[in-house]
Amino acid sequence: MRDVAVLGVGMHRFGAYYGEKPNAAMALAAGQAAFQDAGLTFKDMQAAYVGHIFASVMSGVRVMKEFGLTGLPIQRIENASATGSAAFREACLAVAGGHYDIAMVLGFDKMTSMIQSGTAGTAPENMEDAILPAAFFAMWATRRMHERGTKPEHLAKIAAKNFNNGAKNPMSQRQPSELVTPEKVLQSRMVAWPLTTMMSCPIGDGAACAIVGRADLAKKLHPDRPVVRVVASTLQSERYERGHVFQGPVVGPARMSIDSSRAVYEEAGLGPADLDLVQVHDAFVIEELEYYELLGLCKTGEAEQCIDRGDFELGGRCAVSTDGGLIARGHPGGPTGLAQIWETTLQLRGEAGARQVRRRKTGEIARTGLCHMMGGGSVCVIHILQRD
Amino acid sequence: MTEPTRTRVPIKPGFFTVPDDPARPPRLLGTKCLSCGEHFYPARAVCAKCMSAQTANVEMDARGTLYSYTFVHFPLFGSMNVEHADGYGVGQIDLPEGPRVQAPLAGKQDQFRVGQTVQGELNVLREDGTQDIVIVRFRPVEVRA
Repeated sequence: MRDVAVLGVGMHRFGAYYGEKPNAAMALAAGQAAFQDAGLTFKDMQAAYVGHIFASVMSGVRVMKEFGLTGLPIQRIENASATGSAAFREACLAVAGGHYDIAMVLGFDKMTSMIQSGTAGTAPENMEDAILPAAFFAMWATRRMHERGTKPEHLAKIAAKNFNNGAKNPMSQRQPSELVTPEKVLQSRMVAWPLTTMMSCPIGDGAACAIVGRADLAKKLHPDRPVVRVVASTLQSERYERGHVFQGPVVGPARMSIDSSRAVYEEAGLGPADLDLVQVHDAFVIEELEYYELLGLCKTGEAEQCIDRGDFELGGRCAVSTDGGLIARGHPGGPTGLAQIWETTLQLRGEAGARQVRRRKTGEIARTGLCHMMGGGSVCVIHILQRD
Repeated sequence: MTEPTRTRVPIKPGFFTVPDDPARPPRLLGTKCLSCGEHFYPARAVCAKCMSAQTANVEMDARGTLYSYTFVHFPLFGSMNVEHADGYGVGQIDLPEGPRVQAPLAGKQDQFRVGQTVQGELNVLREDGTQDIVIVRFRPVEVRA
């Protein structure tokens, strides 16, 4: 397998744009930003992998025509929230397998138009369709509170952290103008007890693009920039165990994140202690709390005391959701996983501005980052990125 | 009590029974694996544990232990029942046979607690001409509504 590197990244800021920003316009802006970042043009792209969840027929090919018509192979990939991450993985595999030297991954979605057209829950033909996603994750929180004595304050601290990280990210959907406190989070409107609006990701639109290619090209294109390699990639689906919920595929079994993280640690020859920063699928804050343990960032049952210590804040032991996460940066769908790649790439290059993560022991810029996404609770996609 | 003249129709066939006698609770339609004995809800053709295709349809009592719950502060989607307008409970219920069922709950938030026994009942989601479209909700058995 050849070494694969992230050659360039670009984003269109996530936000609730409703009718004013079509998918094609956001996707074009994100793609052009990635070309510029990579020092490449669309003519250099040998393949395109498009992530779009709320898609009509051929939406990948149609939106790609905005860039030009060069005959390149185009595939649309969908895996719910993990759509962008799954598309990124396919591009990495294709480059690693020697099929292409350079491939682009483009993710876009408009969740605001989905809500407006009423397709969010479709018709409630199944009982589970009548239940909000927030409810499934709220039940995760209730169980955690029952077993571990977790308090809503712990959840509020995670939300406040992510909002305040988002304030430092120009591409973040939520950019609070003043410091967000856990008290403010607890006072926000209840969605599904114990989760409030500020403990839940917002509805939004956006686009993001990553260009991957042979690692030696990264050095040639930007000799002065650290090469950001994709050192591990996995995509796993569920394994059956007693207590599996077959209805409403939203909350995945905990086992899936444990198994997936072990697979990438083994592939990369790394462990959780080697990570400087981590992005997770924090659509609801209880998820981030559980993933601390499932990804091995702390021991089982210790998440709450780590939160109280600030272990996962910027400047903490291992910064999590450094760009604001799904909670603040936003979660349009297709581009979300690519926003994690965007953030991690900038961090490892030392270009993350006010939210730049540094290595705890040496003070040098962050070297290793992990990106974790869940799709419909039924797939887990994890990548580890590392600079030279 | 007058006899119900309206027909009760499940929101989707194949998930639960609608007994003719309104006093009787619904039962859940699932699957038992004839090879390894594992039970599933909803019904499925192939055993998810041992992958055997030797399976049989089974009815299970809509009664179990509340594994977790929440209370959603939005109207129940698709419901025309005013009772659902202020929000609704949702729970995960462990059946004695093994399956974990996810369903709306009947009752107020302060009536629910992890580990309690809950019983399924039919509840009208909306009216459709002469028919009542019904779903299963689980209610804490200790609580008298």
